[in-house]
Amino acid sequence: MAADVTKGTVQPDLDFIRMLKKSGGDTLKKCMQCANCSVACPLAPDSRPFPRKEMIWAQWGLKDKLISNPDVWLCHQCNDCSVQCPRGAKPGDVLAAIRNMAIGEFAFMKPLAKIVRDKAKLPVLFAIPTVVLLLTLLVTGKLFGFGEGDEVAFSKMFSIPVIDVVFIPLFLLVVFAAGKGVMSFWGALETADAKVGKKRYIKPSPFDFVKYYILPVLGDIITHTRFAKCGGNKSRYTAHLGIFFGFMGLFLVANIDAVTHNLGFHTPYPMLSPPKFIGNLSALALGIGMLLVIFKRKKDEAEGTQVGSYADWSLIWMIVAVTVTGIVSEVTRLIGIGFVAYPVYFAHLVFVFCLFLYLPYSKLAHMVYRTTAMVYAKYTGRE
Amino acid sequence: MADEKSRPSVAGSILVVGGGISGLTTALEAAEVGYDVYLVEKNPYLGGRVAQMNKYFPKLCPPSCGLEINFKRIKNNRRIKFYTMSEVQSVSGTPGSYDVTITQNPRYVTSNCTACGDCVDACPVERESGFDFGMAKTKAIYRPHEMSFPMKYVIDGDVCKKDTCVECIKACNYRAIDLKMQPKTFDLKVGSVVIATGWEPYDATKLDKLGYGQCDNVITNMMMERLAAPNGPTKGKIERPSDNKEVSTVAFAQCAGSRDENHLPYCSYICCMASLKQATYIREQYPDAKIYIYYIDMRAPGERYEKFYKKIKDDKNVFFIKGKVAEIEEDPGTKDVTVMAENAMTGEKLRQKVDMAVLATGMQPTGANTKITGDITYDENGFVIADLEKGGIFASGCARQPSDVMGCTKNATGAALKAIQTLVRR
Repeated sequence: MAADVTKGTVQPDLDFIRMLKKSGGDTLKKCMQCANCSVACPLAPDSRPFPRKEMIWAQWGLKDKLISNPDVWLCHQCNDCSVQCPRGAKPGDVLAAIRNMAIGEFAFMKPLAKIVRDKAKLPVLFAIPTVVLLLTLLVTGKLFGFGEGDEVAFSKMFSIPVIDVVFIPLFLLVVFAAGKGVMSFWGALETADAKVGKKRYIKPSPFDFVKYYILPVLGDIITHTRFAKCGGNKSRYTAHLGIFFGFMGLFLVANIDAVTHNLGFHTPYPMLSPPKFIGNLSALALGIGMLLVIFKRKKDEAEGTQVGSYADWSLIWMIVAVTVTGIVSEVTRLIGIGFVAYPVYFAHLVFVFCLFLYLPYSKLAHMVYRTTAMVYAKYTGRE
Repeated sequence: MADEKSRPSVAGSILVVGGGISGLTTALEAAEVGYDVYLVEKNPYLGGRVAQMNKYFPKLCPPSCGLEINFKRIKNNRRIKFYTMSEVQSVSGTPGSYDVTITQNPRYVTSNCTACGDCVDACPVERESGFDFGMAKTKAIYRPHEMSFPMKYVIDGDVCKKDTCVECIKACNYRAIDLKMQPKTFDLKVGSVVIATGWEPYDATKLDKLGYGQCDNVITNMMMERLAAPNGPTKGKIERPSDNKEVSTVAFAQCAGSRDENHLPYCSYICCMASLKQATYIREQYPDAKIYIYYIDMRAPGERYEKFYKKIKDDKNVFFIKGKVAEIEEDPGTKDVTVMAENAMTGEKLRQKVDMAVLATGMQPTGANTKITGDITYDENGFVIADLEKGGIFASGCARQPSDVMGCTKNATGAALKAIQTLVRR
């Protein structure tokens, strides 16, 4: 059921509307198109601003227009529009729901996407990495004991090469899946613009593309420039910055550890060594950021300016689980309580595995889709 | 079958709370068919909000003539006893028999007053005129407006220096001033009650994005009525407040506070027509002026209003933009204001600079902020809900729902009939 407004008729995709309402956009029908939101939004451009037009497209069930629209991703969800909305239509939540639907639409390996986005499939979600890791232990002969000894060292359970063997292919798979999703998103964006006669005939060289479109956007993301413009929501900015740099730091340290270990250095590093220090600092930033996010969300939900969806909370709790198990396993390792440290470390690996594997399908996919949309917006001069 | 003579005189009377167009109508309609009516008004004059208006829509005639006829009807009718400066404190009892407590505030001017005005020249104290929404000043002793009824002066007890001044007493040749006057409370027994407490303009300072109270040239639609009224602060010349400059561009922001869950969740019914009407005020005075009306939906119910809307739409200098004004800013240098909205038809964000912006603020029932104690039901917005099954207490006009004057007079007449039915126990 393709929606085609150019012929003057609208074919509403009723299933899409229903799904949208289910995934956090249940207020969308309250919108009366007063257009207050488009002005309330500190990020919406002057020409064809959002989110008013998205609200009517959503009401009409114009799925194609919505998911092939960079604008829903240019929103950083400060919810100023929802706070000022005279009808409680919560455009902020509706846009979040549209983004969630878009992630599902463009997903490579759709069955996996379905599992991630279905609350009832949560056990399956955890079962996949658990089975993989248990099998790994079975293959390495460590399932029923691995000579714990006095000192707690996780490499006794999963040696670094084993971790590499499991996580590097996983990483490549995720990069591939996310890349596929992003490519189909980009294609959809171009097709949608071509339909209304907007097309870039002279393509920039790959070098120029990176220089003029990708790098500035990455700079923007690292400094959170757009996020900072995002209305009455300073605590979210701080929180997201903490989480962002927490992840970046941890990702960096994990790679340093892996590489240097393979070069013959002894890991884990002592507490005061730079990699360990950065790692711990990052974990702290992540933890504080998550606390802020949870606090802010609970407050907004209590005040009724925001509805938390499964996509929001499943990601929040997943990151919390990663953070908490990470910190607990480290602390218990240092104290030397092996019977706590090892199981918690196992759980930590399960959660990290989840976070990775489901990245292209969970809300975390906003990393790649929002970046793509921002690059596209720059590329087409939409700012 | 209550024949006038067999009707018990006390339980047979009707209390009408509020002396605006609805209260006046209910009181007159009931009195003119032979029932006794007490009319209680909180202001020092009758006529309510209508007295502040420049013109009625859609006929564009001044409300003064209609009010004058009503005042004459009251003067000629012995069955109406009215109290100005009075408020109903409580109502208790059952249909057919209510005890009502009323407090009357001191006017400090007696019925000896001939409205000669000598006292005004003598009075040294000035106050902001609430009638003109602070756009003009009066002395502490003042006449509420040019044709206020009853034709008596009144002293603002909050600002008058009383015994330490007494200049007005010295100036008054009719011994009409009594600065010792005290509030008095008295009881009435009535058979039925009609609440016609009307409305207040929604407090525009609560619309924090729309700049009222921060930008000099952002005014409300009721202020526009006063600016355009011949008896208003500018004698009817529409000029912007900051520098008394003539206006060449004016923006109207519809639904300023109405249809908004954060303010008034309901449609105030009259603001679209009021802005269309006010567009004619400006266009009449300034043939080249441009008017921009920002709206969510233009609501011009009924054939006559629709016709009026079409007439204004045909004016080449009146522009209609579908998009709620979300923000208004002031240029600190020129005091011009910029209204911001998205034109939902073109999908472009607009920043329009104009000389003056008018907020079409809505109606908030008086009951939202001031409730009468007793067996009276208000809804969550402060509108009176009449229990028609039980009878006894009814509501008319904007105390009941947002309404135009025509609607008010219609349902005020209906309320008079319901009040009478309670008296004759039908």
